[in-house]
Amino acid sequence: MVPSKGRPGRGPRAAPAAVNNCGLQLVIQTSSIPEKAKPFEFRINKEQSSFHNRLLQHDLERNYSGRQDNTNFGSSSSITFPVLQRTAEEKILNSDRLTLERQKLTVCPIIDGEDHLRLLNFQHNFITRIQNISNLHHLVFLDLYDNQIEEISGVSTLRSLRVLLLGKNRIKKISNLENLKNLDVLDLHGNQIAKIENISHLSELRVLNLARNLLTVVENLNGLDSLTELNLRHNQVSAIVCVLWFQVGVWPLLDVDTLPCLQRLFLSFNNISSFEDILCLADSSSLSDITLDGNPIAQETWYKHTVLHHMMQLRQLDMKRITEEERRMASIAARKEEERKRESHRQTLLKEKKRLTIGNIARQWEIQQNRTALEASLNKDKENEPCQINGSAAYVFPEESRSLDTILSSAVQGLSVLESHLVEVEGDTLGLYGAGALECLDRNWSVQTAGIIATVSFMFIEFDEIVQVLAKLKTKFPNCVHLKFKETNLVALQQFNALAEMHRMEQLTVDPQGNPVVNLTLWKYYVLFRLNHFNLQKINGVKVTENDILKAERLFGILAYVASSELPHYRMLSLFGESRRKQFHYLLEGKGKKSGVGSEESSDTRRSGGESTARATLNYMTKDFHMEKLEEIKERKTFCQTYIESLVEEAADINMKNESLQKLWPQMFIELVRDAVIEIRNKNSYMKLCLQRIMDQKE
Amino acid sequence: ILTSVSYSLLFAAQRHVLTYMEDAVSQLLENREDISQYGIARFFTEYFNSVRQGTHILFREFSFVQATPHNRASFLRTFWRCFRTVGKNGGKYSSICCYLLTAQEYHCLLQLLCPDFPMELTQKAARIVLMDDAMDCLMSFSDFLFAFQIQFYYSEFLESVAAIYQDLLAGKNPNTVIVPTSSSGQHRQRQPPNDCNPLEGVEASLFYQCLESLCDRSKYSCPPSALVKEMLSSVQRMTFYEFLMALAKDQGINRALGALPDKGDLFLDPAMDQELEKLVAQVSGLSVSGPASSSADTANMPVRNSPRINSPWKPLHHRRKMDAESEGSNEETDSSEN
Repeated sequence: MVPSKGRPGRGPRAAPAAVNNCGLQLVIQTSSIPEKAKPFEFRINKEQSSFHNRLLQHDLERNYSGRQDNTNFGSSSSITFPVLQRTAEEKILNSDRLTLERQKLTVCPIIDGEDHLRLLNFQHNFITRIQNISNLHHLVFLDLYDNQIEEISGVSTLRSLRVLLLGKNRIKKISNLENLKNLDVLDLHGNQIAKIENISHLSELRVLNLARNLLTVVENLNGLDSLTELNLRHNQVSAIVCVLWFQVGVWPLLDVDTLPCLQRLFLSFNNISSFEDILCLADSSSLSDITLDGNPIAQETWYKHTVLHHMMQLRQLDMKRITEEERRMASIAARKEEERKRESHRQTLLKEKKRLTIGNIARQWEIQQNRTALEASLNKDKENEPCQINGSAAYVFPEESRSLDTILSSAVQGLSVLESHLVEVEGDTLGLYGAGALECLDRNWSVQTAGIIATVSFMFIEFDEIVQVLAKLKTKFPNCVHLKFKETNLVALQQFNALAEMHRMEQLTVDPQGNPVVNLTLWKYYVLFRLNHFNLQKINGVKVTENDILKAERLFGILAYVASSELPHYRMLSLFGESRRKQFHYLLEGKGKKSGVGSEESSDTRRSGGESTARATLNYMTKDFHMEKLEEIKERKTFCQTYIESLVEEAADINMKNESLQKLWPQMFIELVRDAVIEIRNKNSYMKLCLQRIMDQKE
Repeated sequence: ILTSVSYSLLFAAQRHVLTYMEDAVSQLLENREDISQYGIARFFTEYFNSVRQGTHILFREFSFVQATPHNRASFLRTFWRCFRTVGKNGGKYSSICCYLLTAQEYHCLLQLLCPDFPMELTQKAARIVLMDDAMDCLMSFSDFLFAFQIQFYYSEFLESVAAIYQDLLAGKNPNTVIVPTSSSGQHRQRQPPNDCNPLEGVEASLFYQCLESLCDRSKYSCPPSALVKEMLSSVQRMTFYEFLMALAKDQGINRALGALPDKGDLFLDPAMDQELEKLVAQVSGLSVSGPASSSADTANMPVRNSPRINSPWKPLHHRRKMDAESEGSNEETDSSEN
């Protein structure tokens, strides 16, 4: 039998049940005795006041007159004790029991000549202190329910006591039970006990009722090897305002192994909110009955089946029998619940991991940025160094920064355990964190996923690195219309040129965080101007107006015009990419024709998503690439220099020779003519000479 | 006795002809595939035409842009033409407000024309405008442009001036100062700490003497001595930044340089405005008729057919004269001549 909640006066009725349980052969007629108890007469013996501590009272007078003399009783002061007398018949009738219920007693009367008394009932009195019963060595049952006792005392001699009912009193502390080794039932419900203590020696105790107390912690239950019923529930009848029941987390302290016989555990109306707090109960093989109603945990949807699933040994839960069907359902539901829990746990883990990874990426990014800044400042410092008059000061800084650098690198190593990048697909958004994430563009994406992606967001990646994968991005995610940049080191307007190579773009979001370019007054207009062919709808979430577009054109239109009209052809070609080049050649060929042809053709260009030629010349090279190119240019330049030098030398040499020839020629000519004239002056000898020459030749 | 060959070589050196020849060959090599399609002769014509017009520096690397005075002037002029609209105030385009920008933003604009333009130069120009003050201040387009002109065009001259100024401040005899060459950049960072000096700056006449001898010896472009003299004779003392500011504000120097119009005419460029109107009309037409409208390229391209009609480099001959006066006549050595 289990006490049902909200029933006043449960205490006295619980007692017989308890007695039955322990197999004590006592029958208490609670219904008949109260009326009969009234005839007892008490007489105040004033002389007793000085002896009230004596264990044996010999002056106890027996006066069974059948009358009731309550005046003595009511006016009794704390220093006088009534002396109880019973008639002989009464004694014979109830030789071993004495019931003094509702007698408005404020003290325990002196009971004389009743040494054989086994049952004593003081229910519903005003007793503040247990006294004058220490001589009742045979007492087995002591009921002090509903009194005003503040301390357990005066019972240490009652070694045969098996049932002690102290419910509804004012007890604050469990004490003085040391000698009651045979105690079977201990009812302390409805008191002000805040701590379970001094009971671990009660190895015979079977029932412990601590309901409606001030317990916050359940402890010191070890040693109660026979305990079968533990009542810790909070009774609704309680008038105690501040009932602090078990707090979350105290339950693990209850080690059920120390209660090997525990069968019934009443935990209703406590503060148990999670199943983990009572999970240890599942290990108890003896537990068959438990109540948990009135706890936060009982409100949960998973409550019943979780409890049933984990405590297969239970026969009753919250006073209801558990059927096989219920158990089966519970185990199924619990399994489902567990799966769901595991899933959600996995989700939380993933989320946490993501959070950590992003944090890590952010840290690495920051370190990297710091290092770049450091290097820049170092370089600057080196430049400054020579002119620094105070040399010693100049050397301090590099030293410091070097040590700082090693600190930074060691920090990076420590972090490298965590992943340094993260790729995430959420809805139609592809999120890329950290430079390593860009590698995902090399992966094979399913057509479906790739088709869904409409937004790509870059975080903690150098813009220059993004530029290099834009072509891949374009082919992998053809439906991407929104690019987001956060912490990407966008610093210059020209970097936006790189975005022009996308297929299409409806939105562009550049987070001010880590992108200094957003601080520039003109960046939006430049984007609108340069990415004019995309017909951008929104920039940083703000709708683009026609006015914006016009303004952008007014600001940068001339740049486009200059770029297109004043750039030499050969340069234009080199500035275009391959595809643009073809179009441009085509344009050049059609140049001779009228512009009507041109318009058809450029509509072609536009249809294929092309940008205006003028703008195409405004492109962006990443820093590395640019450096490479500069290197190339430098090489070529040195070659050209030597080549031109040699050309000039040669030209100068030729020119010099030519000039000399020009100078010498008239003289040479004159000499030639003079020689000829001299030779032919003597006609005969000249003829002879000529003949001679012919002869010589013939020979 | 110099022969005519040496004379022509000297001329070539002065006009940096070799630089352009080298660059032409370099460009030829870089774009040989494209160029081979339409003829090497045509390429050279085009190249030297663009040099004459000053359009050859567009989107070129910084080392080339600053290689010759002509290139520098061309760059200044291109910068002005392209971004005049940014600084434009009121007038016909009252819809565009006059933007005040930071040095960083001007630098971004410069980089649109020359991707590897160094931040250092922009910062120095900004320092002239802001008199070495906080660098995040906003500047008007014209202030920046004229300061930038001085800084960019007379870059080497200014470095030498800084060195001389420093020595004068320190009380050294500046005549013993060796004119800094490219390796002597050490003086440019530490600008004179002239804040707490009761007699700020240096004595103007002494300063001028030093500058005059510097101009005589320097192989780099210097502002016309007469104008510098005028500037320095009007005051007793002058600080370094006062001097730079005066240089930047001097319209005579601006005219001598010949790259930019007078300050009053800075926002006038009717030919360009006309083109801009056309472009804007297209864009507004586009935005009305949607993206399928097709006029953008056609309108851009035909212009190419007659780019030389209104040459972007009209005052070129005038500039050349001034240039020869200021720079060429008194220096016989040049590194490119050997």
